[in-house]
Amino acid sequence: MTVTEHEQSQPTAELPPYAVAFVDALRQANVTLVGTLPESLLKSVYVGIDRAEDIRLVRVSNEADLPGLVAGAYLGGKRALMITENSGLRQACEPIARLAFAHHVPLVMVVSYRGDFGEPNWWGHNHSQVMGPLLDALRIPYRIVDRIDQLASSVEKAFLHADASQWPVCLVMTGECIEGGVA
Amino acid sequence: MKRVDVARVLGEETTTEDLFVSSIGGILDDWWNHRPGGEDNTISVSILGSVSSTALGLAIALPHRRIVAIETDGSVLMNLGILCTLGAERPSNLTIVVLDNGLYECIGSAPTLTSRNADLEKIAEGAGVLNTATVTDEDTLRALLRSQLEDDELGFVVAKIEPGMEVWPQEKRRYTDGVEDKYRFIRHVEKLEGIVVHAGQPHV
Repeated sequence: MTVTEHEQSQPTAELPPYAVAFVDALRQANVTLVGTLPESLLKSVYVGIDRAEDIRLVRVSNEADLPGLVAGAYLGGKRALMITENSGLRQACEPIARLAFAHHVPLVMVVSYRGDFGEPNWWGHNHSQVMGPLLDALRIPYRIVDRIDQLASSVEKAFLHADASQWPVCLVMTGECIEGGVA
Repeated sequence: MKRVDVARVLGEETTTEDLFVSSIGGILDDWWNHRPGGEDNTISVSILGSVSSTALGLAIALPHRRIVAIETDGSVLMNLGILCTLGAERPSNLTIVVLDNGLYECIGSAPTLTSRNADLEKIAEGAGVLNTATVTDEDTLRALLRSQLEDDELGFVVAKIEPGMEVWPQEKRRYTDGVEDKYRFIRHVEKLEGIVVHAGQPHV
């Protein structure tokens, strides 16, 4: 079962296992700053990061602000990443190209896979139709993460890959790794 | 007051301990020649609209160090939403100086919307940014910078400048590209902070 867009309440008590594992993965990778424009598929992750005293969550009003935020943190020697719905990639394209590419910044991005197979929302399908071709056009390597036991290694590998290549990378969350999701 | 005057005053009021994020365009060579110590202390981002967000990330990463964003009206106008994030986060070590000439001067002086009715100071204040001000002369700018750089609070200064670009001789122009800028800035931060930002991995 996948969550429907009508289930919008924020988690108030115990976080689901994927969100706990996600925050643990960030902690293991020494991530201290996360920039986001929150969305529903990873909503417990944002709550989990907000509760984590060792990871700062910065909310923006437009995904185009995120590459700069993450780039600035990188230049200051901190591990940071941005999290958005996959539709946010479109909004962030210009700073990805003109900031991250022009300066070779190892931008680590995490997006939720809105529109993955079984998507119940009509408006979500174009997000997935565009996501792969867009990431390919941008020449950004990406990996789909759909199992909780892949989270920690995927986040660490994303930082290693980005840092070694001095180029952005993207993790695409789906399956067990989104709200209410199953493999 | 011209752009180069703002660069000179800012260079005189800051130190080699500070870090800067600047826009490209007209300020590039002015700041290159007035930056404190002639150090690689400035990353000049190659896009309008990402100067303040980059400075915010740097300010959060290095909370003990003064960070100055050298913005422009065209750049701030492109991404006004970042002001709301700045107003929410309020990093105490960040000061933003906006060069506002009401023009996209580098591309032929087409007007920006601050030449009509937009007021960046009021927009920033409404977004929750602290210590907003607008200045039109050097003395006021200098006095304001002295207080804003020392007050341990977020600051936002709109410097209204006259049109006019300083023409620097070839040997005084900035010649580096964005990739070289990044590595030079990183090595400067590593030296300043005693940290490693990018070490690379051993061959395996």
